Amino acid sequence: MFFIAYKKVFIAIAAVVMVGSVAIIGSLGLNLGIDFTGGSLTEVSYQTAPDKTELENLINTQNLGGISVRESVDEAGRDAYLIRTRDLSEPERVELESAVTSLGDAGEISRFTSIGPVIGQELRDKALYAILGVVMIIVIYVAFAFRGIGTPVSSWTYGAITIFVLVHDVLVPTALMSVLGYMAGVEVDVLFVMALLAVLGYSVNDTIVVFDRVRENLMANRTEKRTKREEAGVMYEDVQYTLTKPYDQIVGTAVRETLARSINTSLTTFIALIALYFLGGAVTQTFALILMAGVLAGTYSSICIASPLVVIYAQWRAKKEKAGSVEGEKSVVL
Amino acid sequence: MTDSSQPQTPDSQGFIRAFRALVIVLVVAGLAFWVYQNAVQPEADKPFKLGLDLAGGSHLVYEADVSKIDAAEVPELMSVLRDVIERRVNVFGVSEPIVQVESSSFVTDEPIQRLVVELPGVSDVSEAVAEIGRTPLLEFKLYDEALAAQQDTLRNLESLGESATGSRAEIGNVTIDGEAISPELPFKDTGLTGRYLETAALEFAGGNSGQLSNEPLVSVRFTDEGAKLFAEITRNNVNKQLGIFLDGEMLSAPNINEPITGGTAIISGGFTAEEAKELAQNLSFGALPVPIELQSTQTVGASLGAEVLGKGMQAGVYGLGLVLLFMLLWYRLPGLVAGVALLSYVTIMLALFQLIPVTLTAAGLAGFVLSLGMAVDANVLVFERMKEEYARGVSSREAARVGFMRAWSAIRDGNITSLLSAIILFWFGTSLVKGFALVFGIGVIMSMLTALVVTRTLLLTLPDIKKSAGTLLATLLGNGIQK
Repeated sequence: MFFIAYKKVFIAIAAVVMVGSVAIIGSLGLNLGIDFTGGSLTEVSYQTAPDKTELENLINTQNLGGISVRESVDEAGRDAYLIRTRDLSEPERVELESAVTSLGDAGEISRFTSIGPVIGQELRDKALYAILGVVMIIVIYVAFAFRGIGTPVSSWTYGAITIFVLVHDVLVPTALMSVLGYMAGVEVDVLFVMALLAVLGYSVNDTIVVFDRVRENLMANRTEKRTKREEAGVMYEDVQYTLTKPYDQIVGTAVRETLARSINTSLTTFIALIALYFLGGAVTQTFALILMAGVLAGTYSSICIASPLVVIYAQWRAKKEKAGSVEGEKSVVL
Repeated sequence: MTDSSQPQTPDSQGFIRAFRALVIVLVVAGLAFWVYQNAVQPEADKPFKLGLDLAGGSHLVYEADVSKIDAAEVPELMSVLRDVIERRVNVFGVSEPIVQVESSSFVTDEPIQRLVVELPGVSDVSEAVAEIGRTPLLEFKLYDEALAAQQDTLRNLESLGESATGSRAEIGNVTIDGEAISPELPFKDTGLTGRYLETAALEFAGGNSGQLSNEPLVSVRFTDEGAKLFAEITRNNVNKQLGIFLDGEMLSAPNINEPITGGTAIISGGFTAEEAKELAQNLSFGALPVPIELQSTQTVGASLGAEVLGKGMQAGVYGLGLVLLFMLLWYRLPGLVAGVALLSYVTIMLALFQLIPVTLTAAGLAGFVLSLGMAVDANVLVFERMKEEYARGVSSREAARVGFMRAWSAIRDGNITSLLSAIILFWFGTSLVKGFALVFGIGVIMSMLTALVVTRTLLLTLPDIKKSAGTLLATLLGNGIQK
C-alpha cells in the first residue's frame, strides 16, 4: 500500500522529472550525429597525437566548410581525434586523410564514415515512424489484452497509462543524451535510437507485468450479478461487477506482489549493462549508459507511476459519477 | 494432473522426469559443442558472420539516378547494374563481397534505388571507388604495318640473342624514328572511341558476309561527328584491319572492305547473347545502365574491428557470469535451474546466429548482452509466483506448477508486445535497425521458450519438499530473503 498511499508524492516526482527532462532537451537540444544530418566523421589515431589547434588549422586550409575536432581514444587505447565535416567527395576524403595522418606520430585512419544528406533525412523519418508505429500497436494490444478488466476503469485507460509511462521512460534517457551532447559532444546516432527502442520495449513489459497482477487481483476480488432483459426481441444479459475490496487496495497489493520481480529483472538487466559499459567497446558505451538510465526510469515508473496513476484516475471518475462503491457494467448479447 | 491420477508409481514418474531433464541438458550441451566447433574451426560450414564494423572493411552506398527511366524497367536495370558492379568488385579478390540493391521503403515520397557494396577487409576505399566508377573504354585502332614490322624485327633480334647466349634477351627502350616501340598489339590510335557512340544494340548475324549465322553481334551507331570520323578512317584505309578494343583488350579486327559512310559499325567477338547484350548496354549507357553517385562511405580498420569484437565478447561473458551469479544467490536451487535455462538461451541464440545467418555487428553484440539480463525475466516471474505458493505451505513441485500457471498471462502479454514491436521495427527499419529487430524478436521468443521448456522441466525434476520440512534442501528450494 506504500506506493498507493504516497501516490501523489511519486506522481509529483515523476512530473518534476518529466518537466525537467523536457526543459533540458528543449534548452540544450540534441547533438544530432551524421547518421541523421549527413556529413562525414573521421577517426584518426596516433602514437603521439599532434596539438589539436595545429590539426584544426591544417584541416581549415582545405576549405571543407565548418569542421569540428573532438579529442577521443580509439578502441586500442591510442590517442585519437574525431573530425566531423560535411559529407566529402572522394578526392576531398583522400586529401583530408593524407593531411591529418601527416601530423603527429604514426597517424592512421581507424574509421571513416560519410553519409549523404538524403540518407540522413530518410533515417530520421524511419526512426520516427517506427517509434510511432510501436506506440500505437502497444496501446491497441494492451487495450485488447485487458479487455475483460472493465471495472472500474476501461482497458483503454491501462493502454493510455502504459504509453504515458513510456513517454516518461523515453524522456529520461533522452535528457541524459542531451546533457552528454552538451557536456561531452556526444552525438545522437542510430545506436541511440536502438537504445530508445529497447527502453521502449523494456518499459512496456515492466508496466504490463504490474497491470497483469492488477487484472488478476480484480478478477479474484469481485462478485458478479447477472440480469436478463429483452429489448426489441433480442435477449441481453447485463453483468454487473462489484468489487469486494476498495480498488486502490487491490492495486496496492498487486504492486507489492510484483515488486520483487520488478526489482530483480531490473537488477539482472542492469548487471548486464554494467558489464557492457565497462568491458564492451567504446562504440557501445553510450548505448549502455542510455539504457541504464532507461532501465532505472522504467523500474521507477512501473512501480511508482503506472499503478498510482490508474488509482488516481479511478478515484477521479468515481468522484465525478458520485458513486459510493466502484462498480462496472457490461452487456452481452445472448 | 494430480499425482493420484497418474497410473505410474511415484518412482517411475521420477524416472521419467529425470530422463526428460537429462535429454534437455544433453541436447543443449550438444548444440553448444556444435556452435563452438563452428566458431573456432577455420573450415566450418556455418561460421559466425561478422559485420564490417567487427571484421573491418568498407561499406559503400550508391544512389542510382532512375529519374529518366521508365518505372517498369527499373528493377531489371538495377539488377544489371548490380551484376556489372559485382564483376568490377570481384577484380579485388575480396572474399565474399556483397553487392545488393536496396529500394527505400514507402516512408519516402519517391522510391530511391540504392546499391550497397560491402568489401570486407578493404579499408582503403580509393581504389575500390575508382574501379566501381570506371567507364568501359571502347577504342577503334588501325593495324599499323610499320609498327608490326618493327615488332617483328625486335622479336627476331631477341630470338637471335637467345640462340647465341642460350638465354632469352630482353631488349627494351628501342626507338625507331624517335618513337618507342610498344610491345602491345601493332595497332595505332585513330581517335575514334566510345565517346562518339550514340547507341549500341544487340543483333544477330544474318549469315552473310562471312559471319556465322545467328552469331550475337553488337551494332553501334555513331554520332554525326563520329560518323564523319569513321567514314574518313575507313575511306583512307581500305583493305586494312580495324581493331576494336574494349578496356584495352582486342575484341575483333575486321578488314575494311570499303568506306563505311552510314555511321554504323558491327562488333563481333565470339560473344554469347548475354555478353553481347551486356556490352551493348554498357556501351550505350556509358559506364553503367544507370548513372550512380556515391552517397555514403564507411570504413573500419581491421584491427579496430577485432578490438570491438573482443571487448564485446568479454562484456558478454562477464555479463552472463554476473547474471548467473545473481540468480544463483537470490533464488538458490531454482536460480541454478534458471542458469541452465539462460545458458540454453545463449546456446540457441548463437546457433541461430550461425544458421540463419545473422550478421553480427557491434550494435547486435550490445543488444545481445542486454538481452542476457532481460531473458531471465520469465524465470523471475515464475519464481516469484512459486515463492508465494511455497511460503503458503504448498510443496515445492506443486508450487512450481502453480507458479508457471499464474505467471503465464504476464509472460504472454509482455512477450507479445515485445514481439509486435520487433515486427514493426523490422518492417520500417533500415538495414541496421532490421538486424537489431531480428535479434530482438528471436531473443524474445527464445527466452520465453527456454523458460517454458528448460526451466519447467528441470524445476519439476527437483525433489518435492515442503517448506515446513525445515531441512537444508527446503531452504535451498526457497528463495530471496526468506529463510
